[in-house]
Amino acid sequence: MTRNDSWKIGLLFSTSGVTSIIEQSQLNGALLAIDQINAKGGIQGLPLEPVIYDPGSIVPRYGELAERLIVQDKVSVIFGCYMSSSRKEVLPVVERRNALFFYPTLYEGFEYSPNVIYGGACPNQNSVPLANYLMSAFGKRIFFVGSDYIYPHESNRVMRNVLRQGGGEVVGERYFDLTTCAGGFTDVIKEIMDVRPDAIFSTIVGQSCIEFYRAYHAAGGNGRVCPIASLTTNEGEINAIGAEAAVGHITAAPYFRSINSLANRRFLKAYEQKFGSTIDVTSCCEAAYSQVHLFASVLEETREMDTDCLHEALLGEGFDAPQGQIKIDPDNNHTYLQSRIAVVNEDGEFEIVLKVRRAIKPDPYLVFPAIHDWSFRTQKVSAGGGRHA
Amino acid sequence: MHDLIRDLRDQNVLLIHPRDRSADELLQQVNRIGCSFDHMWPVPCSLPNKFDMVLVDVTDQSGDKLKGILEKREKPVTIIAIIGYENPSVLNVIFEIGAHAVLMKPVRAVGVLSSMLMARRFQSEQQQFLKNLKKLREKLENVQKVNDAKFILMRHRGITEREAYDLIRRQAMAKRITTTEIAQSIINAESILKNMGDS
Repeated sequence: MTRNDSWKIGLLFSTSGVTSIIEQSQLNGALLAIDQINAKGGIQGLPLEPVIYDPGSIVPRYGELAERLIVQDKVSVIFGCYMSSSRKEVLPVVERRNALFFYPTLYEGFEYSPNVIYGGACPNQNSVPLANYLMSAFGKRIFFVGSDYIYPHESNRVMRNVLRQGGGEVVGERYFDLTTCAGGFTDVIKEIMDVRPDAIFSTIVGQSCIEFYRAYHAAGGNGRVCPIASLTTNEGEINAIGAEAAVGHITAAPYFRSINSLANRRFLKAYEQKFGSTIDVTSCCEAAYSQVHLFASVLEETREMDTDCLHEALLGEGFDAPQGQIKIDPDNNHTYLQSRIAVVNEDGEFEIVLKVRRAIKPDPYLVFPAIHDWSFRTQKVSAGGGRHA
Repeated sequence: MHDLIRDLRDQNVLLIHPRDRSADELLQQVNRIGCSFDHMWPVPCSLPNKFDMVLVDVTDQSGDKLKGILEKREKPVTIIAIIGYENPSVLNVIFEIGAHAVLMKPVRAVGVLSSMLMARRFQSEQQQFLKNLKKLREKLENVQKVNDAKFILMRHRGITEREAYDLIRRQAMAKRITTTEIAQSIINAESILKNMGDS
């Protein structure tokens, strides 16, 4: 391990390919945090030095590049990945080489590796509040659409259970290839128009997510009447979809760009200074940013890149993130996160309507989240995203 | 969704294992999975009744002794053996104690959930098979008895099989007992009468 003149860390986010919009924003979040840390003099006087590779949204490339980072570049800490399938490629590599891997993305749960720190939401942290909101605000007949890979399937399983507990009903369920274009959604949108659900729950990710929202709008779908609700559609995608087609649609996430807090204003200001605009700031970007800060603050303590030392120090570590206080759960390497529900307004910005009162404990092995769990109670957020949003 | 997956968190899990790194890994993973759990070491003399699943380190343990402890219970228990070696004598212990799944040391978090589920499934299926087998055996014995009784009646009374069966059934209904019990009485009576003739 070289620790002569810098601390090397690997960044493994795709800046090309189907998931590049979101992964670019994650990369930016990480780079911003690195800049901030280095501007303050680095860690123990040495700067963080990112080693960046672009896997091009090609799943096996993530594993190969993780191997290269560790073997060739002598990096033992890696931040990266969006899709679960790409994480599954990196996982055996970091376990075999005993590296530390930060995963700043929401995912479907049912995983624990001592080598991974999970920075995104598990289903228990966002599905239940979203299901509650949809059923109380719109109705109980929900149509599911999703990309055809592990996250949407598992996410829909959880959602179906939560809906059933609340007396809801899944009136349709369709899955699509990640590369599906607008034309590929014609049939399902016709079906949605025929079935007339109260809301659509979408786990379509990447480029095809944008195509789906646009196609829905083009076919006469109105977000204010029958919204598309999602856990993954964020600011970057809404921006690409356009305000006109995106208005009324709903997302549940720990973070939204429109949060009105000191920590978030500072974060956005710094982001704008570095990248020119905050147009692509998302919850996954914020997670990457926060994870780099969490890592840096424990490195200050351990003063070495030893995986076991870092891991031990990270457990229970907290950070005053743009979303509010977060903390790594010592039980499971996942993160206590905030949970919010936001609706897209006429300007194409998320307006936060509900939030839970305190950070929710991650429960990655929860088979059946209970809809009436007290920890999921939400409070209204006043218009404009008040002080507590 | 299979019931076993849904009800996994209802399981009371006991780990019998020296308190080392493998034990910590295992307890933490069982905790993440969300089951209530307890730890015991050394091997206790008897198992508290509340446990549904036992994860037991079989390294350097006598199969007979473990078997005695695991079987001495009213409620059947799911057994997962934790092994450090895969040699024939260790493998033999796994068979002796009737383990439903195996975990290798050093224990990794990944795979514990699947092993717990497979063990539960294997155990519950085994339990169901045993119950069915017992039922079938009883049924077969009953059929045999009624047949024997029918032949006795046919021989003594010179009636057909159908008439013999009707006779048994009418008796059973009149006395409000099962046809099997009537059949047993007939068989008993026949054997007593036969013995009387002999003496």
